[in-house]
Amino acid sequence: MDAIFAILTIFTQPQLLILVGIGTFAGIYIGAIPGLSVTMAVSILISFTFSWEVYPAISLMVGIYMGGVYGGSRTAILLNIPGAPSAIATAMDGYPMAQRGEAGQAIGVTTVMSFFGGLIGILVLALAAPLVSDFALTFQPRDYMLLAVLGILLVGSLSTGSLVKGIFAGALGIAIGAVGRDPLTFAERFTFDFKILEGGISFIAVMIGMFGISEALQQLHNVDKAAVRQKISKIVPSFGTIRKYLPLSLQTSSIGVVIGALPGTGGDIAALMAYDHAKRVTKTPSRPFGEGAMEGLVAPETANNAAVGGAFIPMMTLGIPGDAVTAIMIGALFIHGLNPGPMLMIDQPDMFWFIVGALLMANVFMLIFGLTGIRIFTKIVEMPRAIIIPLIFLLSIVGAYAVNNSITDVYWMLGFGVFGYFMRHYGYPLGPVILGVILSRLLDDNWRRAIISEREDLGRFFEGVVTSPLSLTLFIAVILIFVSQTPIWTRAKSRLFGKAVS
Amino acid sequence: MSRKLIGAVVALGLTATAAIAQEFPTKEIQGIIQWGAGGSTDTVMRSVTPHAEEALGGTVVMQNMTGAVGAIALNYVADSDADGYTLLMGAENPLLYKIMGLGDQDYNDFIPINILARGTPILVANNDAPFDDYAGMMQYIRENPGEVRFGATGPGGLPSVVTAMMNTVEGELDVIAVPYDGDGPALTALQGGAIDVMPAVLGASIEGIRAGTMKPLAVFDVAPNAKLPEVPAVTSFNEGYNTYLPWGPFFGVFAPNGTPDDVVAKLSEAYATGAQHPDFVELMDNRGFTMMAISGDEARDFLTKWQQGTAWLLQDAGLTQASPEEFGIARPGQ
Repeated sequence: MDAIFAILTIFTQPQLLILVGIGTFAGIYIGAIPGLSVTMAVSILISFTFSWEVYPAISLMVGIYMGGVYGGSRTAILLNIPGAPSAIATAMDGYPMAQRGEAGQAIGVTTVMSFFGGLIGILVLALAAPLVSDFALTFQPRDYMLLAVLGILLVGSLSTGSLVKGIFAGALGIAIGAVGRDPLTFAERFTFDFKILEGGISFIAVMIGMFGISEALQQLHNVDKAAVRQKISKIVPSFGTIRKYLPLSLQTSSIGVVIGALPGTGGDIAALMAYDHAKRVTKTPSRPFGEGAMEGLVAPETANNAAVGGAFIPMMTLGIPGDAVTAIMIGALFIHGLNPGPMLMIDQPDMFWFIVGALLMANVFMLIFGLTGIRIFTKIVEMPRAIIIPLIFLLSIVGAYAVNNSITDVYWMLGFGVFGYFMRHYGYPLGPVILGVILSRLLDDNWRRAIISEREDLGRFFEGVVTSPLSLTLFIAVILIFVSQTPIWTRAKSRLFGKAVS
Repeated sequence: MSRKLIGAVVALGLTATAAIAQEFPTKEIQGIIQWGAGGSTDTVMRSVTPHAEEALGGTVVMQNMTGAVGAIALNYVADSDADGYTLLMGAENPLLYKIMGLGDQDYNDFIPINILARGTPILVANNDAPFDDYAGMMQYIRENPGEVRFGATGPGGLPSVVTAMMNTVEGELDVIAVPYDGDGPALTALQGGAIDVMPAVLGASIEGIRAGTMKPLAVFDVAPNAKLPEVPAVTSFNEGYNTYLPWGPFFGVFAPNGTPDDVVAKLSEAYATGAQHPDFVELMDNRGFTMMAISGDEARDFLTKWQQGTAWLLQDAGLTQASPEEFGIARPGQ
């Protein structure tokens, strides 16, 4: 009963409601601009809301978080520049849709599905938080490592065309991610004694360059070609469409919640894994994946918004951040005199339910703001190339600079932009590079932790894998997915099932 | 003639500086936080600075600049204009950069504005660990060499110093050190059973201890902490620790060398006032930090002593890249 009252706190105070609304609105635009991240916005808000009461401060932050995760999809669909890492998978089918004149439809589906994913995430947070956080805690370093290996195997589904080129691109990404001082031993890797390489290469700069700049350069090829006219009817998806994707979105939302709840993994990995999952389970996509498949939008967008609720699970139950944004929110609660930790839910259950209420509200606002103004946005794609290309450059440069206020990142971004252009030109997929960079640390750090924990003994390591049900499940999944991508499996499948049919 | 000229120039310079100081700050001050958003340093700085701003009558825009264990932020501030408009908000570890081979600059290139507080290390264990106190842990380690997993945060981090202390006082311990990105992720791993024991700062583990998700073994101090009076001090198990304790990480605000004295005085005063604010004091107390709020020579003495003690401890444990001697860091007591 108290819980319901606490959830309703937000509705009884219009001031809080307005703050959530403002936050969500701002979040959508912050999320849409590459380089301006939710993490940054929330950390600025800590100082800004210092003298406020805790509820208004949290309302604003929750709004920005929810809106920002969704906002990343905007620029991904319209310009092929993911506004945030969690929108990388969205660009892969969203942008082809925009090129066919279906940008409005793509944004519509994305919005509704983000809302749905967000809702699932919040429901799991409200109903099963302690359960999920206990599960998340059981992940050992070797499990994170296996998860990363599972992620690396996504290269297969992210590469269009040659798998060999995809593997090369993925390996390049892993190498880029390893540059700089090794966070575990501080040994220098691939720095060639250059000071600027010590801090590593900003992965956001790589992402903006590879997607944004290379896209702008690509468009220079047909600078005089008229832009595609955008259809602006049927923006809000019909009930039938939503029902069609319901089973898939339930699955991908679950992936999102669990990956989001794991400390150390967030919406970006969740979205990529969900995309891969969609590609595996969808027998007849609306169009081939990579050419504007609706399923390719539904999966990552439900997953990354479900990951928001997921990230709050360890934060609220244990005081452990589920991702970078919740890490800052823990700091905010601390500054406001609360003691975030395992006792928070026992000492102050109202805070938990208030956050659930604020998230619910932010999700609704996201749906409202997301579905209005789509028509104006689709005009961006209709602009002449002579305007849009400089605009992409401007956005990319500002975005890359904003990450660390460092001009070096702008150079990296431009360098990787030119490099990405040539990669595209020779048919190397860009998705696996970003995947490699994202997973590089997860794989590297956890492999070393796992093997160090076992006194660097492979025998003991595998003993651990086999005796833990979780590790064993992940290990078998890795093997099955690997085998299913080899010719052996295709041959065996046709022999087995071919006979069964005949 | 020329002497007069020099005098005039100097006088002009002095009045100019005096004028600057009177008006300081005339624009926004940039505060560079050495660690990421949401971490201990970040939270401490973000909670004291608004109170200091009030006293100063200016704005301090705080920005997180991470990378290379804080060396990137330190180098950035050290290379900026010494006019008091760029401040470094950092923790203790830069004092170990030189001996760890992480950089050639440390707090000797800075003027301490205020050293706000220091933390107390504590040894915590996973709830299922087969020992309940420090003595039990030592016995278990001796009986099961190479089995107990200690969390670590890389060379120069708090766990490495505490472990070095244990090795020096108790003799070489045969344990596995599993490296993590920081004490937050390591304490998470501790609760999940990936590591058995973690030397952490009290503030990071206090909520977990209160909730019973991890068990405290011993406080690394000469006396029990007021926040956790039931946890024994490590000196009650082994007197040998008295040589090295009290020891702990700290947080401070720094300006590059060469910053005009009156600007330093103004900033020091502002941060000293800010640190006295009851909200801030309560916040630090809740997290088990010990308030210091020292500046000037007192702060400098503290830094020198801290550096000497810790550097030589790590050197004797064989964990350094270069001897403290090379950088003129004297052995304590010499």
